Amino acid sequence: MIKVYDIYKTYGGNSPALVDISMDVKPGEFVFLTGPSGAGKSTLLKILYLWEKFDRGQIIVHGINVLKIKEENLYALRRKIGVVFQDYKLLSHKTVFENVAFAQEILETAPGSIRFKTWEALKKVGLTHKKDSYPLELSGGEQQRVAVARAIVNSPAILLADEPTGNLDPIIAIEILRMFEKANQQGMTVIFATHSREMLDAGNHRVVGLNRGRVVTS
Amino acid sequence: MNQTLQFFLRAARSTFLNIRTNRETSLVSVATIAVAFSILGLFLLVLVNLSALLTTWNRQVQLIVYLQDNISKVERTRLENLIVENPDIESSTFVSRKMAWDKFKKTFSGKAEILQSLEFNPLPASFNLQFKNSLGRLESIRRFAAVLERQSGVESLEYGEKWISRFAAFMVFMRLFLLAVGGLLSLGLVLIVSNTIKLSIYSRKDEVELMYLIGARPRFIRVPFLMEGAIQGLVGALVAVTIVKCIHLYMKFQFEETVHSLLKGANIQFISFPLIMLMIFASVFIGWLGSLLAVNQFMISEVKK
Repeated sequence: MIKVYDIYKTYGGNSPALVDISMDVKPGEFVFLTGPSGAGKSTLLKILYLWEKFDRGQIIVHGINVLKIKEENLYALRRKIGVVFQDYKLLSHKTVFENVAFAQEILETAPGSIRFKTWEALKKVGLTHKKDSYPLELSGGEQQRVAVARAIVNSPAILLADEPTGNLDPIIAIEILRMFEKANQQGMTVIFATHSREMLDAGNHRVVGLNRGRVVTS
Repeated sequence: MNQTLQFFLRAARSTFLNIRTNRETSLVSVATIAVAFSILGLFLLVLVNLSALLTTWNRQVQLIVYLQDNISKVERTRLENLIVENPDIESSTFVSRKMAWDKFKKTFSGKAEILQSLEFNPLPASFNLQFKNSLGRLESIRRFAAVLERQSGVESLEYGEKWISRFAAFMVFMRLFLLAVGGLLSLGLVLIVSNTIKLSIYSRKDEVELMYLIGARPRFIRVPFLMEGAIQGLVGALVAVTIVKCIHLYMKFQFEETVHSLLKGANIQFISFPLIMLMIFASVFIGWLGSLLAVNQFMISEVKK
């Protein structure tokens, strides 16, 4: 599903962000991406969700070489990828329902099915009772559940999570992990970045470890 | 069709939200466009009226051919033939020496001392030639004057050519000036609108980034901002046209009678409808262009890292 070959990325400083990273994630696989802060987890994820460019190497996502796609057509590939961030990136002026619906509106989904799909996604994360609340009225765990609902509502083939449990207490964090596992059981390929030992222990999945921009365990 | 309609409805909704969120900056942008286009509109108003004045003058210009007192019958007939054969001439009037003298006396009836000091009729006979209205009217007069000048029996010619030529040259300068001012103002406006839209984009940066991340089509993201700029241009131009119209009405009310008494047939005109449409279209285009610059800059600096 995702093939990464010798990716090299630098922001111009003394030490590059990523050095010759290679990894292969199979369809339907759940992979933990781990490593200390500054290891390059976020950079690698940003490259995978096509937000950052890289200096060298090749990446194949969903069978498509990202270097071969024209800039204006990147959106088509992004639609196959759902992303969850540590800081949730929820829109504070929209309700829970509107935040999840927004992800479909911008893909120009027919208005009739937006309501149904949003409701289904909120049901999956157990937040239907909070549909009219605003993000700032929710706890951190609830906000992250909204973010997960928004990421899965368009049924992407790949789900990328950048430290989605970094701000949450361990019990809530494991609840969130289970949601990703559920999405994985439904067929989504998941890459879950975390630096938490507890999370790695709580899920029995392959671990790709990074340190100073290099793969140290795979 | 339905999808396109839906797309535009969504874009319009998004545009409206953008404007509502950035009410103050949008207002500043609209006000700037309105002021700039009012300045342009006023220049245009002046130009339109000066052009009309030139046309009125042109229309009133006639070629007066003064004849020598001792002109022979043959010479006069030859002149008459030349006049009749010229297709550009609308009408010609022969004014004999006596008719000229009578008119002079009538005009200066209150100045008895002038009439008394003149012991004989010093006025020559003349042909007053009225030319047809056309674009090359002045040129026709010039050309025919050159022909008549060479004829025997002609004393002198008069048609105020230098005056009109100078005025026409001034009008060319005015048009160039307007073009230059228009160009500079347009450039300034593009930059101002571009900055306003940039503020609009940055105030919704999170939302715009999310759109890219989730996979919105580029046009889905761009169109609302482009529409926002175009709407600013449209509203700014409409305000400007209203301001210029108010000034025109004021001038008409205050000065039209004076202008009319100074020059028969002249009145204070408003900018023509096609020119107003051109102004509005230019303003919308400037708004759109400013937005396009802002969106592209955002894409380059924030998205295509």
